[in-house]
Amino acid sequence: MKFSDFINVESIRAQLNASDKESVIREMVGALAEAGQVQSSDHEGIIKAIMKREELGSTGIGRGVAVPHTKHPSVDHLVGTVAVSPAGVDFNSLDGEKVQLFFLLVSPPDRPGDHLRALENISRQLRDGMFCKFLKQSKSAEEIRQLLDEADANQFSS
Amino acid sequence: MFLIDTLNTLILVTGVLLLLGIASSKFSARIGVPVLVLFLAVGMLAGSEGLGGLDFDNFGLAYTVGTLSLALILFDGGLRTPASSIRVSWKPSFVLATVGVLITSLITGAAAAWILELSWLEGLLLGSIVGSTDAAAVFATLRYGGVSLSERLSATLEIESGANDPMAIFLTIGCIEVLSNYTEAGVTVLNSEAVLALLNLFAMQMVVGAAAGLAIGKAAVWTINRVNLDAAGLYPVLATALGFLSFGAAASVGGSGFLAVYLTGIVIGNSRIVFQRGIFLFHDAAAWFGQIIMFIVLGLLSYPSRLFAVAGQGLLVAAVLVFVARPVTVAMTLFAFRFSWRELVFISWVGLKGAVPITLATFPLMYEIEGARELFDVVFFVVVVSAVVQGWTMPFMARWLHVDVPSEPPPPVTLEISSLRHVDGDIVDYTVDQESRAVDRLVRELALPEGVVIAMITRHDQIIPPHGNTRIEAGDHVVVVLRPDTRPLVNKVFARGNEETSELPVQLEFPLRASITVSEMEDLYGIPLKAPAKATLDEYLRSQLPGDQLRVGAAVVCRPIVLYVRGINSRGLIERVGMVILASEELPPEEEPLRDVPTDNAESAR
Repeated sequence: MKFSDFINVESIRAQLNASDKESVIREMVGALAEAGQVQSSDHEGIIKAIMKREELGSTGIGRGVAVPHTKHPSVDHLVGTVAVSPAGVDFNSLDGEKVQLFFLLVSPPDRPGDHLRALENISRQLRDGMFCKFLKQSKSAEEIRQLLDEADANQFSS
Repeated sequence: MFLIDTLNTLILVTGVLLLLGIASSKFSARIGVPVLVLFLAVGMLAGSEGLGGLDFDNFGLAYTVGTLSLALILFDGGLRTPASSIRVSWKPSFVLATVGVLITSLITGAAAAWILELSWLEGLLLGSIVGSTDAAAVFATLRYGGVSLSERLSATLEIESGANDPMAIFLTIGCIEVLSNYTEAGVTVLNSEAVLALLNLFAMQMVVGAAAGLAIGKAAVWTINRVNLDAAGLYPVLATALGFLSFGAAASVGGSGFLAVYLTGIVIGNSRIVFQRGIFLFHDAAAWFGQIIMFIVLGLLSYPSRLFAVAGQGLLVAAVLVFVARPVTVAMTLFAFRFSWRELVFISWVGLKGAVPITLATFPLMYEIEGARELFDVVFFVVVVSAVVQGWTMPFMARWLHVDVPSEPPPPVTLEISSLRHVDGDIVDYTVDQESRAVDRLVRELALPEGVVIAMITRHDQIIPPHGNTRIEAGDHVVVVLRPDTRPLVNKVFARGNEETSELPVQLEFPLRASITVSEMEDLYGIPLKAPAKATLDEYLRSQLPGDQLRVGAAVVCRPIVLYVRGINSRGLIERVGMVILASEELPPEEEPLRDVPTDNAESAR
């Protein structure tokens, strides 16, 4: 699976304003709603579901990366977005560091395979330290999109 | 004595013009004008209507100089085009270089016919001449314009410019052919035979050019590596000779010499060859020489007064080309290639024209097509406008559109292996920055593999001979001699920004509370664990791990995930679990029971 298969380009945010966990999630789900990827009426439900998943263990996986995710019936295919918070946000991460880079995923309840493949793709791509670093330094949604494209292209050629 | 005097004058003039060209390049960086514009300006100033008063209107000679220079520039451009650039951009480049040129030519041609009150065919001839982007202009602007672009973007533009000459030549020759067959009654004698011949011309240009370029490139690498010359200086000359051979051989059997020499350069540049640095440096110089000479000669060839005469119409044609034809072309050909709109706007803007249109514009003059001189002036005007306006503003556009990327500072010194035999070694220059893993370490503490030695460290203006107890500082340039196969390991030692990889697991894992139940796992990730729905991960993992294996770092594979024990409390209960999702190709065999993976973030039992 590639980033382009599930990352919605219009909802990428390079400058998150949020300063705590819930508002990060709120801002990112809001971006998905704005782009028409999720129903505005489901907005709150999705945020709740993601926060509930966070309680089982933070999706802050270290290196300044977090991958909040959930399943939710309001989507009929996997949708995701990327956001960068230049200042970093406390996300109860594994390593205690602030998180600058967020991938948020919402998948339909009946497609567990896609959900895992997307998480796998993200964690595999982030093993590339440069990719991770460049993403965090991105100043615009456009830069982020390009980096994702490049990562997809590498995956393709390898 | 007259001949010798003329020759002496010619040498003097060449020297002076070259010096002026080089001096203007100093100027270029300061005021941001692309060098080629300044070279053109020097030529125009030196010309018959400028200060120099040199009278030069030999189109044949200008064409010869232009073609030779372009061959050198394309060869150098090919040498410095890495295979990775080609992989990411050959498709969009190819479409731009073929269909793209046609669309640009048609739109510009139609507009030109209307603006200049020409026939459709004459308009199309003009469109074809200015339809292709120019390799010399594009290379010069992208490589020395002071802006770094993403590899895909710059490679698309460069490869387009290197590969679109066959199409432009085909269209131009085609138009000329049809125009010269115009009968008195105004009826075109264009039968199916002529059409076939034209298509054949295009196919030959492309296919023969590509085949000759690639084949001679392969042969060239073989030759360079096996010839065993005694004089180092002969290697670059050998490379040039092979480049010319490629151009000439392709052109003499009907292929595109430009395409051939570019491809030969690419093949040589992407192979390991003897005396590579020397060959590259020489061709860098040759390309500069070609650029200066070519643009100065083209400047000499132009008559500013004649340009003024066509200024109004020329401006209109240029405006259509820049603001309509190129953007429409880019939008129509590249919509499928997932460029962002910013990139598309940028690609539209860097449709630089240069020497190719001017050399092509000499074709109608040589074929004595009616109105050829006026056509030449308009083309020249369009090229100057394109080079000045688009070339000059390219860096600003790149920044404004946010398509520029930060560039790495060049190393202060370089070492090279200059060997005339094949040596199984490389010299690699590492820039140590604050985030490098090598920073603040002694040389002897670096885990350098066998067969690797640090030859030199440069710090500011100093050269520091490395000893075991030399401390590496941020900002150092470390020059390492290594065997090619050890390079990945050495890269890791000096890697910048990868420092996290040593502190965190190679695989990213999701921390989970061990109190999560099996049914929650199934619910969240669709992973059926072989345990009762109410069981917790703690219970499940302990059931899978016999007493002696229950420790931090122990792993249980439940395809497609692996669960790691990450924290055990004093009562022997698992508190925290790490979940790693296996890549499809990494999935271990079904029955692999246990695996220990050491990680730094795994806390020991407490």
